[in-house]
Amino acid sequence: MKYAIVQDTRVGKRGYNQDRAGHWSTAEAVLLVVADGMGGHAHGEVAAELVMRHIAAAFRRDAKPRLANPDLFLFRAVGRSHGILLREAVNLGLPDTPRTTVVACVVQDGRAHWSHVGDSRLYLLRKGEVLVRTRDHTLVQQLVDEGRLQADDMSSHPQRNRLLQCLGGVQTPRIQPTAHALLDKDDVLLLCSDGLWGPLTGRQILEGISGAPLAEAVPRLAALAETQGGLGADNITALALAWGEEMAVEREGPRTETLGEASTEVQDFGATEPEFLRMTDEDIERAIAEIKEALKRNPPR
Amino acid sequence: MPAQANQPLPQGHQLQNYRILRVLASGGFSFVYLAHDENDTPVAIKEYLPASLALRTGDALEPEVSEDQAAAYRYGMKCFFEEGRALAGLGHPNVVRVLNFFRANETVYLVMRYERGRTLLEHIHAKRGSLRESWIRNTFATLMNGLREVHTNKLLHLDIKPGNVYLRSDGTPLLIDFGAARQMLSGEAPTLPPMYTPGFASPEHHTDRSKLGPWSDIYSVGATLYACLTASSPPSAEERLEKERILPARKAGAGKYSSELLDTVDWCMRLDHLERPQSGFALQKALLGEKQPEYRGAAPMLEQLKGALKRMAGR
Repeated sequence: MKYAIVQDTRVGKRGYNQDRAGHWSTAEAVLLVVADGMGGHAHGEVAAELVMRHIAAAFRRDAKPRLANPDLFLFRAVGRSHGILLREAVNLGLPDTPRTTVVACVVQDGRAHWSHVGDSRLYLLRKGEVLVRTRDHTLVQQLVDEGRLQADDMSSHPQRNRLLQCLGGVQTPRIQPTAHALLDKDDVLLLCSDGLWGPLTGRQILEGISGAPLAEAVPRLAALAETQGGLGADNITALALAWGEEMAVEREGPRTETLGEASTEVQDFGATEPEFLRMTDEDIERAIAEIKEALKRNPPR
Repeated sequence: MPAQANQPLPQGHQLQNYRILRVLASGGFSFVYLAHDENDTPVAIKEYLPASLALRTGDALEPEVSEDQAAAYRYGMKCFFEEGRALAGLGHPNVVRVLNFFRANETVYLVMRYERGRTLLEHIHAKRGSLRESWIRNTFATLMNGLREVHTNKLLHLDIKPGNVYLRSDGTPLLIDFGAARQMLSGEAPTLPPMYTPGFASPEHHTDRSKLGPWSDIYSVGATLYACLTASSPPSAEERLEKERILPARKAGAGKYSSELLDTVDWCMRLDHLERPQSGFALQKALLGEKQPEYRGAAPMLEQLKGALKRMAGR
């Protein structure tokens, strides 16, 4: 695998940095994570750190040296980290569950897979174009999707910080199926907190990354976000990977697979945590009684 | 996900009034055993034992469930109960029959009538992909009786595939493995974890689960028919949505099967759920030749050429 990773993080005008970013790799897989702990809630940086560490630990455990299923890995790792925050809040005796956003990306076999919760973003930039930008789980993104707001006005909207989903919140986040795309040579994956993308327009991000070698472009972009953020500049974090290989050759044209034991995939139970707490002994007995009752009404011949 | 090897119940083990003979199948979610009841009638017993959450080793009967997985383990039982509940109310010759359901060894068991035969998957492999059109039409039209009964009871199977269609020794088909089955139109949000098989699951499985309906099972029946025609598994709906590159049945099976049958298969596998047969009844009629498929694919190049040549020769 040929790639380069550049990372930059700044406190901005805040007292401390609640953003976390990190990357891990094996010979065949790379993991990138950015988490933005939520300032309005106690210990946002704890949440960001816990989530990043959990995903990294899962990666170190499962990538040997490749992940069997990167999509499923991210779906589970991100989904579980919500439950981990709930548990750690109790263990650490915190008065409130710490909350964070997260965006995590795995690159394996020349393909990028990503998952996110909240307003931390992933951009996939190719040949001077934004090929992919994750949709934030925010009220303003919803307004943009409904055609009631322009994308570049998102950062000036009074309700811009209103998240519809986060990790550690009261509501269990609904983790979306993992998205993925094949990478081509010189593609850039940019993972960032809203401190970076907020003050910048889409064009500025695109031109900032496309215009110079990554090692110069990333710090320059972070500096620009800090300047444009002015006195209210948030924590700023950018983590970028430049891909150095030609696009993996994929079989074009019609495609079928040999018919094997196509196995049924079960998505993670852990992703829906609070729900299963309700399955008590009485619930089990009741379910069995119901089934027996149905069998009695409808006896086997 | 660590693939742990769970120990099956030992041969000869007495489980309530059933004696375990051997393991019929094992999956990531359960074991299925062949057993005899007190009258020596053979039954198939499915044991809930999700490999990722519970571990049974050595001589222990009760699986070990780590403390932080205990809740998830209990939650997974819900899926198992759904299966029991789905099947208990159904009594149809083309649907597997449930006989009993009980709790033991810190887990739950589903007892089903044992049928002699083999799965459609095994049949396709044994026939090396040379299934006759009349056989396919008859078998699937009969199978639709079972699926119609499922849908009539407001249930969706949601995991129809060659491995989950069973052929009795006399050739009659039945639907098995309702582990993914769900109630439809049950006001409740679908909170159970989605289960699916890539290649056979409909696009709604991947995108918008609120759109799941009888047409989703129809998609899977189409994919299963596709597997009969080509002895291969179609690309997953997820891949098709990203980039359509399925070889349509109309092309894959040209020359071997009638264009009506091939169009019927492609009709079932339309990505837009509204463009598929909307009910098992509609598909059944098409399979029985009582109704033309409402989708017509482009004839392959060779057929077009032949047609053109015939027209020229006839001039």
